[in-house]
Amino acid sequence: MLRYTLTRLLQGVITIWFIATATFVAMHAVPGDPLSGAKAMTTDMRHNLEVKYGLDKPVGQQYLIYMNNLAHGDLGISFTQKNRSVNDIIREHFPVSAALGILAIVFAALGGILFGALTALYRNKWPDTVIMLMVILGISVPSFVFAAFAQLAVVKLNSAFGISLLPVAGWGTVKHMILPALVLGLGTMAYLTRLMRSSMLEIVNADFIRTAKAKGLPATRIFTRHQLRNAILPVITVLGPAIAAITTGSFVVELVFAIPGLGRYFVQAVQQLDYTVIMGTTVFFGAFLVLMVIIVDLLYGLIDPRVRVN
Amino acid sequence: MATQLPPDVDAILPPGALEPLHSEARVQKITRPSLSYWQDAWIRLKANRRAILSLYLIIAMLAFTLFGPLVWRVSPSAQDLQQVSSPPGADRSAVIVPPYRPWTDAPPPVARGLTLAAPATTQYVRLAWAPLPGAVDYRIYRDIVPVHSESALGLPLGTTGSPAVTHYEDRLDLTPGTAYYSVVALNAQGVELPARETLRVEVDNAITVAEATERGLAAPNATLAIGDTVQYRLHPLGTDYLGRDMLARLMQGARVSLFIGLVAPLLYVLLGVAYGSIAGFVGGRTDQLMMRFVDFAIALPFLLFMILFKIAFGIGPGESGILPMVVALVALSWPGTARLVRGQILQVREEAYVSAARLLGGRTGYLVMRHMIPNTMGVILVTLTFAIPSAIFTEAFLSFIGLGVAPPNASWGSMSNDGIKTMLSHPHELLFPALMISITVLAFNLLGDGLRDALDAKMRSRE
Amino acid sequence: MTAIEATPPLLEVEDLRVEFDTYGGTVKAVRGVGFAIEAGRTLAIVGESGCGKSVTVQTLMGLVPMPPGRLTAGRARLRGRDILGPQSADAEEFRGNEIGMIFQDPMVSLNPTMTVGRQIAETLEVHRGWSRHRAFARAIELLDLVRIPNAAQRARQYPFEFSGGMQQRAMIAMAIACEPAVLIADEPTTALDVTIQAQVLDLLAELQRTEGTAIILITHDLGVVARMADEVAVMYAGQIVEHGSVDDIFYRPAHPYTVGLQAAMPSNRSGAEHRLQPIEGSPPDLFSPPVGCAYAARCPHAMRICAERDPPRFYRAAGHFGRCWLNHDAVPDGARILRAAAAGPTVETDR
Repeated sequence: MLRYTLTRLLQGVITIWFIATATFVAMHAVPGDPLSGAKAMTTDMRHNLEVKYGLDKPVGQQYLIYMNNLAHGDLGISFTQKNRSVNDIIREHFPVSAALGILAIVFAALGGILFGALTALYRNKWPDTVIMLMVILGISVPSFVFAAFAQLAVVKLNSAFGISLLPVAGWGTVKHMILPALVLGLGTMAYLTRLMRSSMLEIVNADFIRTAKAKGLPATRIFTRHQLRNAILPVITVLGPAIAAITTGSFVVELVFAIPGLGRYFVQAVQQLDYTVIMGTTVFFGAFLVLMVIIVDLLYGLIDPRVRVN
Repeated sequence: MATQLPPDVDAILPPGALEPLHSEARVQKITRPSLSYWQDAWIRLKANRRAILSLYLIIAMLAFTLFGPLVWRVSPSAQDLQQVSSPPGADRSAVIVPPYRPWTDAPPPVARGLTLAAPATTQYVRLAWAPLPGAVDYRIYRDIVPVHSESALGLPLGTTGSPAVTHYEDRLDLTPGTAYYSVVALNAQGVELPARETLRVEVDNAITVAEATERGLAAPNATLAIGDTVQYRLHPLGTDYLGRDMLARLMQGARVSLFIGLVAPLLYVLLGVAYGSIAGFVGGRTDQLMMRFVDFAIALPFLLFMILFKIAFGIGPGESGILPMVVALVALSWPGTARLVRGQILQVREEAYVSAARLLGGRTGYLVMRHMIPNTMGVILVTLTFAIPSAIFTEAFLSFIGLGVAPPNASWGSMSNDGIKTMLSHPHELLFPALMISITVLAFNLLGDGLRDALDAKMRSRE
Repeated sequence: MTAIEATPPLLEVEDLRVEFDTYGGTVKAVRGVGFAIEAGRTLAIVGESGCGKSVTVQTLMGLVPMPPGRLTAGRARLRGRDILGPQSADAEEFRGNEIGMIFQDPMVSLNPTMTVGRQIAETLEVHRGWSRHRAFARAIELLDLVRIPNAAQRARQYPFEFSGGMQQRAMIAMAIACEPAVLIADEPTTALDVTIQAQVLDLLAELQRTEGTAIILITHDLGVVARMADEVAVMYAGQIVEHGSVDDIFYRPAHPYTVGLQAAMPSNRSGAEHRLQPIEGSPPDLFSPPVGCAYAARCPHAMRICAERDPPRFYRAAGHFGRCWLNHDAVPDGARILRAAAAGPTVETDR
């Protein structure tokens, strides 16, 4: 197990390096130079800025400097906000996104497992139909539409009843987190519900469930210790990619709900062509995702003994 | 034979009972026509109602995209400034009025309340009212929602300036629809008194003969009288915030979204199949090497790199970016397919029927064509069908954050982006593109489910 | 079937009829099956795939999902107590407790994410209310009983770490944990090598000797029948077509199907030139079972009456019947035909 962990970590580091290099290449392939979008400036100012950002050096050297900085955890200074370092930006905004993401994943996972199990147990009865309808909506309606309609619905509700049930935008209290987390997690929850459903259906008909019944075990015990435990495995497998999906989905949700998270910052940076921020956040996000996938894989090993022993 | 005779059986059997049965009658033949794999899959697919419905939807969508512009010949960028943000089914009639002449002659005095001195049109709204007690001046308000409270009367239009003037003409930014006018009395200090009147007015569209002929809404030689109505251009699905026809824009959007959604997956699936099947088939060191590259490519976070690619291909935000998007999608997605196909090929290679065929003398080419490819086709087809909605989603997502196609070109994603801005007042601008995206994505997803159920018992989901 | 016994049999089944509603129609899977078994005895149920043997015992255990399945008739009594009635709550009481069951493929019949010891201990915890600790200790003892070496260590392992034979033995340990009166074994050795097969069967036989367990053994392998069975019921197309002692079945078959089964077995005594004799044709369509004898279509000795009337039970001796018109006195050569066909048994019984 230890060996496996170390191998995965090593692979992860290489992958992050790969991401960083790819990001560097991509950014430097953009035509025009980074400072062209800035306001008019004198040649002196321009020269100073170039030196500051190291743009006067040849590309190869820039790459080495970049890598060196990266290894020390220095992601550079923002282009558009010249007194803020990218690290600071990340430090300030990432926790917001993380909180949102965690809540969304919890919604998605708990909801997915619960609803999926319910549809399998009440197959073809009304809970099944209702839940599957929600699933269909969840996988076909884009998240930004959901976000918009959710806001609309809450606004109408608020004005109809004259109360402020949930805030529709902004950040700060727990109540602010509910609506965006729901919207963010909905797509993933729909997907997990489906996955859990087919997994459960397979397990429900499995031979070892027949054995459990033949042993005269009560239905609840069969459900929890035998069916659920085994049906969850595929869901955990996709938890890694699910986290990735939620992380990237946060861009839109943060935009629509005006949440000061890293995703929104990233989109703004893209729109403003703030190079260091773009590069820094990409590498950061990439590293984060790689780490998440590794953690989930290890988690899976803990749960499924077949992986563990081998 | 000392057998005990069962109670309900006679000792004597009927005549002919012991004759041997005819040999032909004996063997029960079960004959059913034998079906090929694809025929069987097709039958299974047809039985799946949701999948067939989705298939029809997709065909309808394709027809809409390809033939729609031929039937509905309206330019998606033409602006109809008369009907900006008008919802579908809005009243588009306009009444012919004479050219504007200022209101000089005073209206007859009004006995009571607030009334209209002339029919209300977008040319002018002329109000007249009975004098209010204590009024030294009058202020007129206009609102678009019914007046609830005393303090929210709407937009103040102006004052009359004198207690004797109990009429007012409104020409400010008149739009067709319902307006709520209020007249409030002011005292000598200009403070509003409680005395006020409210009137609900339906404002009709007005147009002069000159304008009508100029805009082509009436034939040049037609005789138009005052009071006749002409119809503005028809927009079956309404217009957007710039007055552009929604239907035409949806069609253009369909072309863009579906082009990206069909071409990109097709390309990257083909690429992935080629790469993966070579790797899987050749095996050994080559396979290892090829897969190492793929494994790293897969680890890259998709959306982040989509954005990077889009920027890197020299097209910054604000310019039309169909080709870069396709290229980016293909570049980032083919490794996933390659890995999938390679896995399938490896699996199929080890199957007993391949060894059996080889033992029976089959050569490599025959094995590949007749055994391995048909058995991977199922997975490939299903992958392709699920790749399409994924690509459409990605395009919508990117367009939404401003990195997709740009105005005046439309894609469903960018239309949704525009629509969100006016969501509360004109929901139809968001509703239609969102609906298109959802229906298309849903149809492909259901079709993919149906294909998967029909093609492979192992992949089949227990529904 | 003499009704002279003072005590009722341990388990008795009467006229069991089970149907399945499918999209293609209704399958009449079990069409009037009845048998009885006493403590310490082994009843083998033989037949080809699809004859209804598994459905029969699974119905007794309440393992058949009742839609789409339907019990249209029949009764079953364990120690005089009705076990098929509408009170399915009682089913959990005797399942695993008084009737144990083991299945064909042990690898997929064991929970992959639970240790073997826990799976065995579960039954004791549920049926006897024992603590986890006590139940687990007993589980180790049981593993020892079924001759699994290093029982204490093995109990903490997972099923995939066991070999096929060990898995089946673990299943047996699980099934006998609560000392059931009846053990149903549904093709317990089909998925195992022949040498392991012998070990498992020996184990079952010994358990029967020491505990007095009645065993219902389902198999399609006549060799297993010869080795283990006291009584045999031969099933075809949802019915028991012959029932008798193991000697009766092998030396004095009363049904052409039984004869055919024996003839179809490869023999190591008939010489190199002997060809395998399969039974031509396939079992009838159970969506609409034939009016007469279900075997008539494949029977080389079929007569007109066979296609017209379903043969009743013809008793050759106490406890031995065959549902075949050839047993009727009026059939001149009936006895001779059966006897001639059965000439030269290819299997030696050793009970």
